[in-house]
Amino acid sequence: MKRLAFALAAALSVLVAGAVRGPLARAEGNGPMTFEEIAAKAGVNTPHHVRNFNGPGADVLRMFTSGGASAAVGDYDNDGLDDLFVTDSDNGTTCHLYHNNGNLTFTDVTARAGVGGGNDPLSIVSDALWFDYDNDGWRDLLVVRFGTPLLYHNEHDGTFKNVTARSGLNGFANTIAAIAFDYDNDGRLDLLFGNYFKPVNLLNLKDPHVLPNDLDQAVNGGGVTLWHSLGNGRFEDVTKKAGLGGHTGWTLDVGHGDFDNDGLQDIYLACDYGTDRIFFNNGDGTFRDATEQSIGFDTKKGMNVDVGDYDNDGWLDIYVTNITDEYMKECNMLWHNNADGTFTDVSRETGTCETLWGWSAKFGDYDNDGWLDLFVVNGLRSGNAENYIPVLVNMITRPGVDFTDVNSWPDIGKMTWSGYQKKKLFRNLDGHTFKEIAAASGVDNDLDGRGIAVSDFDNDGRLDFFQTNANQTPLLYHNTAAGAGHWLEVKLVGTRSNRDAIGARVTVTAGAKRMIREVNGGNGYAGQSSQRLHFGLGADAQIAPLHIRWPSGTEQDVTVPVGRITTIMEPGRH
Amino acid sequence: MKRVWCGAALAVALASSGLAAVQPSGGEALALLEQAVEAKPDDLRAANDYRMAVIQAAQYDRALAFFQRLAIEHAGSANLHLSYGFEYVDKIPAAGAITQVILANNALGEFTKSIELQPTWIGLYTRGNSYLFWPRIFGRTQLGVNDLEAALKMQRAERKRGYHVRVFVALGDGYWKMDDPAKATATWTEGLAEFPDSAPLKLRLSKPGDELKVLLDSVYDSSKRVDTSLTDLWSEP
Repeated sequence: MKRLAFALAAALSVLVAGAVRGPLARAEGNGPMTFEEIAAKAGVNTPHHVRNFNGPGADVLRMFTSGGASAAVGDYDNDGLDDLFVTDSDNGTTCHLYHNNGNLTFTDVTARAGVGGGNDPLSIVSDALWFDYDNDGWRDLLVVRFGTPLLYHNEHDGTFKNVTARSGLNGFANTIAAIAFDYDNDGRLDLLFGNYFKPVNLLNLKDPHVLPNDLDQAVNGGGVTLWHSLGNGRFEDVTKKAGLGGHTGWTLDVGHGDFDNDGLQDIYLACDYGTDRIFFNNGDGTFRDATEQSIGFDTKKGMNVDVGDYDNDGWLDIYVTNITDEYMKECNMLWHNNADGTFTDVSRETGTCETLWGWSAKFGDYDNDGWLDLFVVNGLRSGNAENYIPVLVNMITRPGVDFTDVNSWPDIGKMTWSGYQKKKLFRNLDGHTFKEIAAASGVDNDLDGRGIAVSDFDNDGRLDFFQTNANQTPLLYHNTAAGAGHWLEVKLVGTRSNRDAIGARVTVTAGAKRMIREVNGGNGYAGQSSQRLHFGLGADAQIAPLHIRWPSGTEQDVTVPVGRITTIMEPGRH
Repeated sequence: MKRVWCGAALAVALASSGLAAVQPSGGEALALLEQAVEAKPDDLRAANDYRMAVIQAAQYDRALAFFQRLAIEHAGSANLHLSYGFEYVDKIPAAGAITQVILANNALGEFTKSIELQPTWIGLYTRGNSYLFWPRIFGRTQLGVNDLEAALKMQRAERKRGYHVRVFVALGDGYWKMDDPAKATATWTEGLAEFPDSAPLKLRLSKPGDELKVLLDSVYDSSKRVDTSLTDLWSEP
């Protein structure tokens, strides 16, 4: 039956789902951008818990590992509605799988699905990812940890089976970020892990010298791990073979995209305590480190990688958050792609530089005007009135202090460190300038944000987003913008390419605008957004046939309706 | 092009220090300027010439090592500690955000040693001004105001010099940072009465509150290079 349905879908090639929204009073995308916070109403407001440690340095380690509040969006049951997986981190706490009921409410189906585990005395859940590792048309779930990862196979009936043992994903790492992408375009999704600490178990610490050896140029972090899919449900570690083994930074996020328009997926690594890295894909299973010539070396605290063409020039740009606060003026980086393998940071010029202690940031056309906006969460720890910074600086400036020693760092107790920070929503005005409108849009909460997962949860053509917060309840923002412009969404299904179509690029031409989007496998810190591609069209209700470049190299032009969600299958092998 | 410019800067520094007859390479030029400082470790001018050349050559670590050694050998030289502190300040724009804090703190340490050895106008002004770059959460602004008030007292007892205007500017900034805009305005106004051509004072007095905040945030942006050249000190007889 399932095969028959699939064959029908293939025959049709293009399936149309969803419904056209009612007439819009002002479908141009230039009306007020408004959101309503509905996490409690929607049933997705279970709080996150930061891991508690025991013994000497417990307070410091708790602080250093407070980044594991993440969310992953994925339609695990293929009902056309994006579901939500949300992590927790303290020992014995449960991660949550929320099934989307279609009416902006969710049902917690964790117990039945069997995916709540992962937080045990020696492991901390830190991030999660939906991806169809076996190309069976059903998204599987990866949970990464400060520990070994967990891989759950989707059993097609609302349950999952733990297949970690036979997957080969058995390497211990302090993984904080993960993306799925097909770096060698063999039709199978590979995995890239960003690892924060070096691979020592922080929950069973033998040597306290595990913290950064330099606070601006650290080289004793966990680097990255590249897992190549062998196609039989197994993965092999190819980090060194691929040319990524030399990176030993404190990786906080990893992102991918075809930065040089050669049909191959390149990668960007955001690193805490030192320079970010950019690697271009050589097309032979290896990457080349182009950091020095492409972006230059930096000393910032890279926290997030999101990829999008904010100026609609046909080249993917990159947004990285850093720390810009009263005591530290790093500025974020909006890397404008110069179309020649180099990037220029235009965050100051565009008005996207200052977001305080930044964490996740996500591009999205939240007002459907054809320009990618940016939502940025921030805030490390909101405690009492006492500020940790002067205490910390006393340690940092002590002559001869050993930063790597957990015992050198003063306890934070209940103190505040870059807490109570207002979130930032940058509206893209014209591809060159952004205006900060979080307060007016109702999203300027001051929680300790970590991740963002963007999705059109109610299939109304307007992008909503879910915000995770460390040791606090999450938030779900429903997009209520009345004057949002026209839109279209496409769900791509690979046949020769990987089934999730990760890496596929869609180009839409609407009026004078030519927009590109790529399906990504988890870009952005602690949050995987929908794999459906969303395009705001502004006042343009008519568009030219959209162009798809599949990871297999197949090119396709498809006419799709505006105001609908369209499923498109890759032509060719089924 | 950069190397030519760097070479030109070194030539200027050498000319300034009386060593222009020599035509050395970049590294050799710095070595010559170091010899000049070694010969007169307490001479702010020789050290100033060297530091300006170091900035152009971006040889901060070399210079810090040089001053560190010299400061051990001449621990009683107040001006040498001042120059050593300036070297830390000079490196700040080339460092990462957290290293900047360490450098700024090290600079304060050297300025303090200098003042402890000999409280001078330049020492008090320098340390007072440095404190103003620290965000208020560190509680150092009042320390800066204290130093600048002491420097003001000192300059009132001396013959009026053009560079004395700097204390009026910084002290007003300090009061403003301590949330005392009336005292800030009074200080800037008093300074303008003594130095009617002072552009920094005129600028501050012309700005309404919000614009003044933007201005002072920019002035005390620790990531920007601070002009540590002391040529004002010997530009007038």
